[in-house]
Parts: sequence; C-alpha cells; structure tokens
Amino acid sequence: MSISKEAYTVLESIVGAEYISDDPAVCEGYRSGPGGYESGLGYERVMTVIPGCVIMPNSTEEVQRIVKVCCRYNIPYVPYSTGFYGPRSHPHVDGALLIDLKRMDEIDIDDKHWFAVVGPGAIYSPLQEEAMKRGGYVVIGGGGAQASVIANLIGDGWSPLSHRIGLPHRRILGTELVLPDGELVRMGSLAQQDDPFWGEGPGPDLRGLLRGYTGLRGCLGIVTKMAVKILPFQPERLEPTGISPHTSLALPEKRVKWINFVVPNKEAQVKAMFEIGKAEIAGAVTKVPLFWRAIAKAECKEEFWDLWGKENSDSINKFFIVRVLLIGFTSEEQMQYDERVLMDIMTEVGGEARPTKPSDESWIKNADSAGMWMMCGSYVSVDYVIETLSQATQHGETYADLKWKYTPPLMPDYGDPGWFQSFELGHQGYSEFLVYWDQDQDTNGVDLFYVDTAKMNIKNRAYTSLLGPHQPLYLTGPKYGPNYHTWLLRVKEEFDPQWVCHPPVPLAHDVFMERAPWMKSMKDWEVPKDLPK
Amino acid sequence: MAERQTKIDVKKLFAESPKTPVKLDITDLNNFVYDMSRCIKCKGCTWVDHIYMPGAQFRTKCPTATRYLYDSYGANGKMRIGIALAEGKLQWTDKLLEIIYADPLCGACDVGCKRNLDLEIGLTLEALRVKAVQDGVGPLPAHKKIAQNIEKQHNFFGSPHNNRTTWLSKAKLTPAQKADVLYFVGCSASYSNPEIAQATANILKAAGTDFMLMPDEWCCGNTVFSVGMIEEARALARRNVEEVKKTGAKTVLTSCAEGYRMWKVDYPKLLNCSTDDLGFKVVHLVEYVAEQIKEGKLKPTKSMNMRVAYHDSCSLSRLSEPWTPWEGERGWMGMVEPRLTRRRGTNGVYFQPRDILKSIPGLELVEMPRTRENAFCCGAGRGTKEAFPDLAQWSARHRLEEVKYVGAEALVSACPWCKNNFAQAVKEDGDAIEVLDISEVILASIATKG
Repeated sequence: MSISKEAYTVLESIVGAEYISDDPAVCEGYRSGPGGYESGLGYERVMTVIPGCVIMPNSTEEVQRIVKVCCRYNIPYVPYSTGFYGPRSHPHVDGALLIDLKRMDEIDIDDKHWFAVVGPGAIYSPLQEEAMKRGGYVVIGGGGAQASVIANLIGDGWSPLSHRIGLPHRRILGTELVLPDGELVRMGSLAQQDDPFWGEGPGPDLRGLLRGYTGLRGCLGIVTKMAVKILPFQPERLEPTGISPHTSLALPEKRVKWINFVVPNKEAQVKAMFEIGKAEIAGAVTKVPLFWRAIAKAECKEEFWDLWGKENSDSINKFFIVRVLLIGFTSEEQMQYDERVLMDIMTEVGGEARPTKPSDESWIKNADSAGMWMMCGSYVSVDYVIETLSQATQHGETYADLKWKYTPPLMPDYGDPGWFQSFELGHQGYSEFLVYWDQDQDTNGVDLFYVDTAKMNIKNRAYTSLLGPHQPLYLTGPKYGPNYHTWLLRVKEEFDPQWVCHPPVPLAHDVFMERAPWMKSMKDWEVPKDLPK
Repeated sequence: MAERQTKIDVKKLFAESPKTPVKLDITDLNNFVYDMSRCIKCKGCTWVDHIYMPGAQFRTKCPTATRYLYDSYGANGKMRIGIALAEGKLQWTDKLLEIIYADPLCGACDVGCKRNLDLEIGLTLEALRVKAVQDGVGPLPAHKKIAQNIEKQHNFFGSPHNNRTTWLSKAKLTPAQKADVLYFVGCSASYSNPEIAQATANILKAAGTDFMLMPDEWCCGNTVFSVGMIEEARALARRNVEEVKKTGAKTVLTSCAEGYRMWKVDYPKLLNCSTDDLGFKVVHLVEYVAEQIKEGKLKPTKSMNMRVAYHDSCSLSRLSEPWTPWEGERGWMGMVEPRLTRRRGTNGVYFQPRDILKSIPGLELVEMPRTRENAFCCGAGRGTKEAFPDLAQWSARHRLEEVKYVGAEALVSACPWCKNNFAQAVKEDGDAIEVLDISEVILASIATKG
C-alpha cells in the first residue's frame, strides 16, 4: 500500500523527484529480512512489512518538513539510517514512509575541541579513521564499524574499548532531534548556541527522549545531528595490511599491543579484570565467546564447524581467557609501565601470556560484527547487562543454562557463557549473550527463548538493557519501573499523539505476542484488553 | 529440550539434516536463494573494507549504490528483490530492469560480502540478469544492439569484420603463423583502441616472444554474457575455445581486462569446466610483462618522469580468480558438501601491474585511497556504458576525484574500456589528467628493437 498521490506530491516538493519513490521494486529493496540481525524470526515475519514509500532528505529542515507532512496526512513513518539493526528499524505497518537518512552523512571534526559532528547516515569506520588521523579515537560499538554512529550511540555503542573510555552514550554532546510533530529540539549546548561542544544544558535533560533505557528505535523522533566526543589515543599510524578477507591493522608494537592470557578459573578472570581496572591500565579488557576464536580462524562456515566440532564442554567451560589491549597513550614508557603492571597482576592470578598477533582485526577500527552470521546464518544479541564484574559472569551463566532448553534450534555451543568484560576501568562488568540459529529450521524456540530471558532476568533481578525496545513493555515495564511503561507511554502520547512515528513501537513486542500464536504459552502478565495503538 | 552436549558430532548432524541440492549455475536463480536470504544488510557490499576505510571521503566502493543511493540499487537491496522474483512476488517493470542492469557487476559487493560471509553475491547478480532474459524482459535495447552487432560482424561495435586486423598496419610487425602465445586482441583494441594492440604487440616483440593471432578472431562475448544472454555467450565461448585449441597455442594473452575475465573465468563457467581444463593458459599482458621483467627479458630503462595512479580494472583484479565448477548439497546450518573453495578476490592480479610501474625509472606510483579489492569501478563495464552512459560517466568522474586527491598527473589502467571511459570524462571536464593504458606506459619505458 503506497501513500496518497496528494501527500506524495507534497513530499516530492520537499526533496525533489530523484529522492522519493513508491515504486514496488524500490520498496522491496528495503525489506527487513529474511536475513540479518534478528531476522528470520517470528518478530520479523509477523511485525515487518515493506515501506509504502521511501524518501531521502538531505537536511534537518527537510526532515522537519517531511515529518510535518506525515502528521498532516496521518502517514506512519520510520527513520532509517543504515537498516543494519534488523526488523526493529523497519516499518511495522502498511503504507509507512521510510525516511532513509543516508544522504545526511556528514562527519565534521572540530580540531580545536576534539569532537565530531555527525549526521545519521555516517557510520563508524570513517569517523574512527578521521579521529585516528588526529591522534584520537572513539569507541566503535559492538554493532560494527558499519553501524550508524548516531543510531548505535543512542542504543548502546559499547565495545572492549569501553574499559578505558567508558560508556559511549555518555559522550553524546550537542544533539538535534526532530520531534514526531516536526518541532526541532536542540539539546545540550546547542540549546543556547550553535556550538555543540557540551551534552548538558540548562533545564531538563531531554536525552531520555533519545534512549529511554537503551533506545526507542526512533519512536520519539529523528536525530538529525549529533556531536560526539573524541578522546586522545596515541600518535602512530595503525597501518592497514592484507587482502580481503585477511585484512587487519598492523600495530605499532611499542604503542599498541594485544596480549591474550589464559587464567586458571573464572575467579582469576574476574580478579584480573578488577586489578587491571584498579591499576588504571590498558585500553581494553575482555573475554569474548570462545566460538569467536573459531570464527576468526575459519576460512568458511564448514571450517568453523570443523574447528568447533573438535571442542567439548570441558575445553570450552574450563578455558578462561583474558584479552588485554595495551595502549601507550602518552609515551612508549607509559606502555612499558602498563605492561609490567599487567604482568605482575597476571603472575598474581596465575595467568599465562599466549602468543598474540601484532595486529588488530576487530575492535579498534573494524568491529567485526558481520562475521557473527558465518556459522549458522542467523544471529541476535539477546541481551546485554551492565553490572559489577562478579555479577556479570553470573548473568552469562544463567543465559547459558536457559539456552539448553531451546537448543535446538539454537546453535550447540557446549554452554558457552557469552561475552564478558570490564567497563570504566572495572567499575562496571558487562555481559552480553549472543545466540545463533539457522532460520530455515523451526525458529519458534528462538522467539520463546527471547521472552523467557526477560522473565529470567526479572526473577534474578538482573538489569536488562534491552527491556525497553526489545521485550514486551507490559512484561518488563511494571517489573523494572514499577511504572516504566506508564512513563514511556505518557511521553509517547505527549510527543506523538497521533502515533505516526514508527508505530507500534514501543509496544511492538506486546503486539507481536498477541499476533504470534506460538507465543501464547509464554504470556502470564497483564496487558490492557486493547493495546493503546 | 536437548540433552546437554559434552560433544557435538557435526558430521552426524549434517548427515541427518534435510538437504537441498545446489549448483553454482547462474541459469537458475533458485540456486542462490540461500545466499539471497542470508544477506544481513551490513552493506559490506557497499562500504570500503573498514580496515582500509580512508576517512570521511571515499567511503564506498559500489558505483551503483553510491550513485542511486536507494538500498534497492545496492547488492543488499537486490538480494531482497531477487527473493521476491524467485518467489514470483514481484513483477518486472522498467524500474526493476534499471535496478538490475544499472550496475557494472564490478565484484566489489562480492568481495566485500565474502570478507565475512560465504554468500555468492556476484553470481546472484549474474543469475538475476539471466532470469530477466529467460522471462523475456531483458536485456535492454542497447544490449540487444550489441548482440546484433556481434552476430552480424562478430564484434561489439558492428564495424566491418574485415577491419579487425587493421591495427596491424601501424604496428610495423607481422605476427607468427604459429606460436605458443596467442594474442587475443579483443574488440576494443582491434577497433577503437589500436594503440593498445600495437603497444602490446611491440612489447611482445621486445621481449622476444613470438605470438600469433586467432586466424579469425571474434568478440569474446563479454557484453552478451554480462547482460544475461547466456546461450549466445556460450556459443561464442565454445567457438573461441575451439579455435584456440585448433591453433595449438599454449597461452592466450589479452590486453583487455574484460576479455581476460571472460577467457579465464566465464568461459569455464559457461562450458562447465575449470580454468585449468581449458587446455591452455590465460594471461593478461601485465602478468606476462611482470614475469619478463623479473627474468630480465624486458628492461624498462627509459625514464618517465610522472606521478601516476593505477586503477585496478575490476575484471583483472577482484573478478579474476579462476573458476571451478561445483555442485553439491546444502544441509545443517547451511553447510555445503562437498567443500567449496569460495572465490573471494584475494588472488586477483593486484601486484604485477604495480611491480611493472615501480620498475620504470622516474615514474612515481601513488596509491589512491581505494585500491585493489576496494577499488571504485570506472563504471563502464559489462553493458553499463551502453545502457546507462550517465552512470558510467558519473562513476568515472567520481574515481577521477581520487586521482586529483592524490595529485597524480596520469591515470593508468589495464583495460581499454576503463581507459575510454576515463578519457571521455577527462576530455569533457577539461581535467589536466592523462589517461593511459599500461601497455602504452610499458612500451614507452622499454627500448624496442628495430
């Protein structure tokens, strides 16, 4: 279903004929699945449709005008930066206008004050390259180097580099947000002047409109510009080497170095991370899922399974690795000092350094998320939590335990407890649990697992980052709020009374629960008889 | 609920899983449904490899996605469109034909995708064009005209077939009647770029290499193959391969990247054999010359004081890995059996042309931000310039911005189609950039005999 001819004509007058299309082939190209992040699951099949029309604005003003037209003609719309973030960033209702923001891809660096002003179409790797040319860096989130900087920062944007420079969304500076009715909100220092150098400003902090807990998938407006802080790195060039698929950054070893350690047990793992943070050394400290090592070694899917098939539950669950990135931020001597301290810590916990390549394949410039699809074809990070270091490991283990119930269709992984690392110099512990499956199998179990994890987190009183946009709001809101859902829906009603901005988010997963018959057995919480929208 | 595995028997899981037969056969789009359905929209097809990402400028490597912007024009969009076509849920329209054909099939998407995944994007795009022809809607009128030219005059341009060897008159040499090396000149060098054919012939002469021509050379069929006219292309492949076999030549040498790809990759693909089974070796001039320089048979001694950027012609670089036919079945977790060695563009002809240029005294080779497997295509190849001249010229201009960015005086490529497309843009814009084929540069740098 396309939008009315009259509305189309008005929209066309804003961007020009070249940048709007309701052609069925053009719209088909914007389909969410069947592949991709979280795709091939029930949510994607039940909740997403192709857009009725696609439009590509080139400025904040054009976005404002488009949104106002949508309000006038009651056209549901969805902001879209790269489309990588799976079904939740695609239209959920027929006849929606997909606002493709890729033309707004500016990356302007303020060389004096070290921040970058980016548009929603800008992705991470060019930003990182520009930052590194200047001796600076940003965190490329686990979402990948191909993720929109703005979309990823609104959602989460963390990576192992968050050990040193903290949670990236805390480095959001001046930001422009077009509200669902087209009004422009300028946040932080932009509220008072054109310089976006600072994130806070006088009056209420409106960044909650961007994020809720961890992002609202564009249901409260469209960010058209954001300033992001750049932090000091080190001056030497990380030289790209190799030919695809074997490309990596050659590290200047006296200034940047990864070292992998094997430690005796989980307690040693946690203690090592804690001590490294306490000593205020290292640029990244992480323990990644062990099958990532097999992904990195394998040339192809079949080779991955050759390697993974050689493992067993002991080799996985009794293997404790701590991967540390040392960076000589200020000098070679500083890195030498850090390395000596690190070796002392590892001696104390019984860690043993393993030979580590003097290169970086993933995290500094290329967060290699695309490889996650190699072994099974389908993937989603079902949850991430930010806890203490000791709590974070327990989180992963509870997930691994619950996962058995849904394996298959989930990938057999011997109970690997997921990804675990230090944030903010060990002040926080991060756990992320990723699941993989083949979308050609019966995937209902994956849908069930998804919601079951929310119930498990509620039971275990774990903070779950994805509760806002990725779980039924009426399940998670009362438990985490106690009135998170009421708050969020009031805000939604206030700013988007017509619910034209990416409906039915933030109630999309609630609607999915209603529509998908195989989810009925899971539902044991109260919902209004008629969901609000 | 599964029992808690202490060990996974991958072979058993695969053996017990349902299987789908699959072939690397572009005449049936259904062979690529798995590949299309696993596209994850990471747009590795569009972005420069993130490790090599040069910064805020020159971020993309796909001409089509960069020019038209809509996702639908990028490989990620075409994978979704392809599924809809395979399932009969999308009808052919002029816009859809534009989406499928406004694309130089340069392989940037395929290599980018295969950095992380095992998806056959390039073959899928070829299969979409074959389907367009099978469904009676493709190719486009401009392509049909070329097919007619080839049918009537055996060349791309429709020029008189008898003029095919006119370039020889200025080459001041006579090819051998019989030799181990057969120089396949190609339509472009035969008719529109005789300077390339003449330079190539003289380089071979300078190296002391006897060479022959095909007794009756016909078009390689690049365009008809690339636009999906698979039967016409197969007939040409069969005919040309047989003609070479009759000559007894051991090596077919080309000076055209598109022709090189046809002989080395697409003829075996069309004839269901491997490159090694063709019965002769296929080399591009740059491979041959690099070897001759290494062996001391050719010596670039004449100084060329210029700053030069080298443009990787797609068909010589990321598209040029040899072909091996494969068929098998897909099972558990999408694994295939027997094992498939994917063509990922790793072993393209990247270093030889650079080695040659670096060996020339006085010549300064500078790399553009997007090089080798990340190079931005000139936009002319595989039927694009004929049907979408605007896209071809836009792409050339976009690439020329990189030449200016690195301050090169000349742009060198190893394909006449690249040269012509760049030269046209340079001429129209009045740019102070010289556009040269590498054969001309090599010839100018060596002392020729007689």
